[in-house]
This record gives sequence, C-alpha cells and structure tokens, in this order.
Amino acid sequence: MSLAVTILVLLATAAWEWQMRQLGLTPGDLGDNPYAWVEERRRIDTEPVSAAIVGDSRILFDTDLDHFQRLTGIRPLQLALPGTNGRPFLENLADDPNFKGLVIVGMTDVSYFREKAGWMKIALELAKFESPAKRGSFLIGRQLEMHLAFLEQEYRLSALVARLDPDWRTGVEGPYDDTWKLSTTLDGRQTYMWPRLEHDERLRAHGRAVWQAFKGPVVKPEVIAMTLKRTRAAVDKIRARSGDVLFVRPPSAPDFRVNEDKRLPRAKGWDALLAAARARGAHIDDMPTVQGLSLPEGSHLSKACATVFTDAYVRRLAELSPRLTIRPDAPPPLATKDCVPGR
Amino acid sequence: MVFNSLIFIVFFAIVLGLHSLPLPWKLKKTNLLIASYIFYAAWNPPFVILLWVSTVVDWFAARALVNAEGQWQRRAWMLVSVIANLGMLGYFKYGQFLVDSFAAAAPLIGLHYVPPRYDIVLPVGISFYTFATMSYTLDIYLRRAKPATNFLDYALFVTFFPHLVAGPIMRPTELVPQFATPRRASADQLRFGLALMTLGLFQKVVLADGFLGPVVETVYDSDKPSGWIDSWIATFAFSGQIFCDFAGYSTTAIGVALCLGFAMPDNFRFPYASVGFSDFWRRWHISLSSWLRDYLYIPLGGSRHGELRTYASLMGTMLIGGLWHGANWTFVVWGGLHGAYLCGERLLRKLFKGFQAGPIAIAGFALLTFLLVNIAWVFFRAKTFGKAWSVLAGMIGASGDAAPRLAAISIGTTVAIVAAILAAHWAMRHRTLEAAIGRTHPALITALWAAMGFAVIAEHGTGNAFIYFAF
Repeated sequence: MSLAVTILVLLATAAWEWQMRQLGLTPGDLGDNPYAWVEERRRIDTEPVSAAIVGDSRILFDTDLDHFQRLTGIRPLQLALPGTNGRPFLENLADDPNFKGLVIVGMTDVSYFREKAGWMKIALELAKFESPAKRGSFLIGRQLEMHLAFLEQEYRLSALVARLDPDWRTGVEGPYDDTWKLSTTLDGRQTYMWPRLEHDERLRAHGRAVWQAFKGPVVKPEVIAMTLKRTRAAVDKIRARSGDVLFVRPPSAPDFRVNEDKRLPRAKGWDALLAAARARGAHIDDMPTVQGLSLPEGSHLSKACATVFTDAYVRRLAELSPRLTIRPDAPPPLATKDCVPGR
Repeated sequence: MVFNSLIFIVFFAIVLGLHSLPLPWKLKKTNLLIASYIFYAAWNPPFVILLWVSTVVDWFAARALVNAEGQWQRRAWMLVSVIANLGMLGYFKYGQFLVDSFAAAAPLIGLHYVPPRYDIVLPVGISFYTFATMSYTLDIYLRRAKPATNFLDYALFVTFFPHLVAGPIMRPTELVPQFATPRRASADQLRFGLALMTLGLFQKVVLADGFLGPVVETVYDSDKPSGWIDSWIATFAFSGQIFCDFAGYSTTAIGVALCLGFAMPDNFRFPYASVGFSDFWRRWHISLSSWLRDYLYIPLGGSRHGELRTYASLMGTMLIGGLWHGANWTFVVWGGLHGAYLCGERLLRKLFKGFQAGPIAIAGFALLTFLLVNIAWVFFRAKTFGKAWSVLAGMIGASGDAAPRLAAISIGTTVAIVAAILAAHWAMRHRTLEAAIGRTHPALITALWAAMGFAVIAEHGTGNAFIYFAF
C-alpha cells in the first residue's frame, strides 16, 4: 500500500508540476519574502557593502542589478521589499554601524510618506532574530525552488481555489482582489516583472484593477513632517559614518501618476524631502530620454524597460555622487526606444 | 522546528535513519535525547536552558521526595518542583499579564500605575513541558508512580520531541516504561505512523492554514464589524481551524512517535460529535483535561464534598484551564463559559435524572453542544473583549449595516469543510480510527492517503506555527 501511495503521489505531483509550467511558472524563480530579504541583509554583517537599495516594489522590479554592475562595477545589495515603506528600512541601515556605503532609496511618494512599515515589516524583526529552524527551511526551500516550479506561493492549492470567485457576493472584496503573482525573482533578489504578466491581457487587467490607479486619501501634513524629520535623521547618521543617501523616483502610468500627485504633490513630497535631507536624487520627470516606458499593469516596468530605466537612473546618480562612477567600458546609454524584450 | 517545515523532513529522516541502525539501545536513546534538544533549540537555542532547569529540578526533587523521611519533607520537595515550574511559567507567560492586570485594577483602589513593558519572549511549549515534568513529581508524591531508574529515561520522557512543544501531555507512566526496552517500529507501525503524519499534515497545512485560517482572519483580525453570516461563518471556520491545527499536530506527533516504535495516547476523539460538555472534554485535548482532572479538580475536592463544592471545583478548574491557554482575560472567560456549561449540564442531569434521550434528541443535544462550543470559541479567538462583543453582536444580527466581508467561495469552502468534519466526527463517534481503517477497502485507503499527500504538496504552505505553540 505504501508503494502504491508513493507512486500515486509522485504521479500527481509530476502532473501538477507540468501544469504549473504550462501556466508560466519556471524552476529557478525563487519567489520573494522577508526571509530572502534577511538572507541578503545579513551580508552587511559579513562583507563590505558599497551600495544598497531600499524602497518598495517599484525600485525592486525596475532595477536591473546586472546592468547596474556593468555600468559601475558595483552590484548593489537589493533590499527593497514589495508593499513596504522604504523609510524604516533606511533607518534600519542608518542604525547599523557595519554599513558605511551608499543607500539608494527608491520611493513612490505615497508609499514612502506613511507611518507604518507596510506589508513585509516582519523583515525588520527577522533582521534582529531569525530562528535556526526558519533559516534552515528557507535554505532547503531555495534548493527545491531551483528545480520545481510549483512551489510558487501564489499558486498554492488554496490560492487557486480562492481565485475562482470573481466576487460573486455583492459588496465583497475577496481574495480575487488581492495582488496575484507579479514578479520573477532570481538569485540575489534580482526581481523582474513575471514574463506572463507582460503578455497576458487578463492578468494585466487584473493587476491594473487591483492597484485602483493608486487612488487614496491625501497624505496628512503630520505624516509629511514626521517623514521629513526621520529621513533627515537617518541620512545624517549614515553620512556621519562617511556613507551617503540618494533617492530615485521610478515611473508609474499617467493615470496612476495623476492620483499619486493628488495625494502628495511633488513639491510637498519629493522636493521637500530632498531639501529636508539635503540629499539629491533622480526623478523620472527629470529623465527625458526614458519617458513613455512600458508599464504592463501600470505600476511596474516590463523587464526590458527595467534595464533602460536602470541605465538612466544610474547615469544620473553618477553625476550626483562621487560614490558611483560610470566605467570606461560601460555600454552606451539606453533610451525608451531600446526597451525591446531580449535585447 | 515545526512538523510542517522542510527542515523537519530532513531532521526526521536523519533521526529515523539513526534509530534504524543496529546500535545499542542506550546509544539510540541518547541519539533521541540529543535530537530532541536540537528540535527545541531550532526555535531559540538559549531556551534549551529552561528545559534543562525543568528537567533537573524535577529529577532531584523526585529523588529527594522518595528518600524523604517525613511527610513535611515530602511536601517540601513537591513544593520545590511546583514552585520552580510554575515560577518559570509565571515569569515567562504571565509576568506582563499580571502587571497589566494590576494596572487596570489600580484605579479601583485609587492608585495610578503605569506598567512597564518587559518584552518577555514566550518560550515555545513551556506550558506543555512544565505540566509534563510536574506530573512526574506529583505522581511520585501521590504514590501513583515510581521514579525513573535512570536519568536518561527520565530526561527523554520530558524532552522526547514528538510531544515536547504541544503535547499530548504525557505522563511518566505512559512513556518511561517504553524506554526500558529496545523499540523499533514494525512495518505495520511504520506504515500507520506515516499515514497518521500525512493525515495530521493534511489537517494542518491544507485545511487549517490553507482554507480556514484566512476566513477567520478576515473577520477576527479586522477592526470593522461583521454581519451575521460573516460572524457565524468565521466562527465555524475557527472551530474547524483550531481542531485541524491542534488535532493535526497531535496526530502528526503520534505518527512520528509510532514510526520510531513508541505509542502515544489519543489526544482527540472526534470532539464535535460530543453530546454535552462532559462528553466534549472527554474528547477534546484529552491529555490536558485528564491532567486538570487529576491534579486540579480532584485536589480541589472533585465531587466528594457535596454539590456546591463540586460546582466550585468545576468552575475553578475550567477558569485555570482557560488561563493556561493564554495570558489574557478572554481565555479566562472561555474557560468560565465551559465551566458554566459543565455546571449547567450537571444540574440538568440531576433535575432530569430519569430522562432517556431518543436519537433525535441526541442529535439535537449534539448540535446544541456544537453551537455553544462555538460561542465560547469567540472569546478564545478574539484578541480583545471589544472584538469578541463585536463578533457576538454580528452573530445575533445586531451589527447594523455591516458590509459583507467574506467572499462566496470562502463561505462555500468553510461550510463544506466544517460540514465534512462534523459528518466524519458523527460517523466515528463510537469508533476508533484503527477500527475504521481495518474495515475499509485497501484501495479506498490508498486513494485517500495519496490524495491527502498530494494536497499537502500542492498546498505546501508557509510553515505557519501551530496555534497551540503559543500556549
């Protein structure tokens, strides 16, 4: 009986794996979560890190770490997390005496200017203590994810069942309205938009619907004041250790941007922040060569456009800070027209 | 580590492999002891020290107790054990609760007290292993058991990893004798153990975490009110979740022990088929209810000193049992409700002594029991009284124009799963799992076992901790 059970389970699992690959899942997509973040964060304790990126999902999806390295010779530590506010993570680095490098803060204004750390705040707690059991399971899971596609959290059995219901019950925002799989994550938390999302109209429409064009309440003056004050303090701490902080504002779809500006205009958010922190940064509005990039679900760039945007913002930051230098053998500058898949 | 984690699969494979080698029995027991410490240290290594303290204190207290010449000396050593164990439990689990409660009561006597925040981390499973070690000393004090003949067997009884962090709460008489002679699982035991592990993980990973947990969280972890459908469905979902989570743990634990050749007692016997609350507590968390009966209810007087004292003993036992579950007054109310249910049932049984219930009445009583258990679960799950009242108000339709919260699919899956649990419990009410399996065609068993195994893999989960680890 045990042998029959084993064979049946193996057959069913193989069929499931095949079906998941048909849906666009791939082995080697490691997924992203606070445990993966902590694994990267831990590198600061053991090796000199010259640059780290913090922020929300936009700077995470929109940064091509390989291209960053081709341009500057530096591969930054990717510490941005989806659904989070970059400020507490900037403060986390500011409070770590081991970190003496450059912090690149990716910010969506309405995400950065809020009180709470956000969806993956548990990452900050894990940075203080992660149980050996959790870490062990994470490391074993990583090895399995290199070979099996079905281990994707967004395609668990219960998640698939929950999504069968397109809000049949009137007035309910159910699991159908949650974010679905958006990204592919490779080693070192190199994250891109999930290829299927770029081409599947239904998934793109769902993604756009979930974001609700970033509508929401206006950011309160006291939250703005708190954010400016705490960012300034964190920047000062990092500079006191001879580090530096630069800011990057990635793009969003025009209809999203209208709502984001209504909630927090650039003058009260981005401009005020740079002034308060006496910092510099690269804002998408100030990069004319990369306007009109492809944002399949309105909030994040396609994989090809992430490379183009990275090229633009890294070159801009290199003009602003001596901590980043464009290598003599760096590839030529890219523009929106270079936003071609597979180039 | 938790049973539903990848690291446990590796850990268990190594332990099982070592246990299968032709090694001396003492060495195998030493392996199991070391493995159990690794199992516990995998959460937070320094907390192993607490486990050692609990183990060593009770070992020496029990030895001193046996050698004591007078009754007062015996009592003193028993008290050393009780105070050491309850002291640790009190500090780590109830320290903050006590100062917070004092601060809340201080204004009643004209005091103003702002409690400090201690940020004490609760060592996982401390309520379970302190009760297990205390039962060792208490049984010897009460002359119900003889002390273990060697420290290794005793330490392994306390630390044996299948039961260490969430029970079943083992008695020394149940486990220590099993360590006396070499044990290795037969092929049948290994097969049944693996099947139990699959069933337990299916309950935990697929039903509790995958399907029922999110439904409960949508209502109970929200600050918005919910209507009567959402409140009832979320509460039914919690009744399913808490059962699948805890019984899932116990079933996996029993399966793990069986794979190593050890027997552990049932901790659940289809509790949602209970007719009345004394029946419920003979079926739910059996090892805790029997512990509370033997070491609390009976010493408090039990039913030997008249009706009034019996009611007081019942209420006292259930209130303390409630507090054992968590350092929050909501758990005390949960225990109090069960105490009141038990007292009410006892009173009704006395008033209607000659009443013989027919099949319809029995089914009606079972349904009533289930509904009242669910009302008590509201206080168990709600983190505050405000939330508990809000859900109860929703259940009686008094939450105004609360917006619907749960998706139709969540309602559908919850009703299907809870109905299946109820039907299974009712069908198994007078049977054991072993007997039922023995009467079922092997092809059906194979198909069910494989389906559960595949469901666990397809769900794979996020390695959520078991609810009872926090107790």
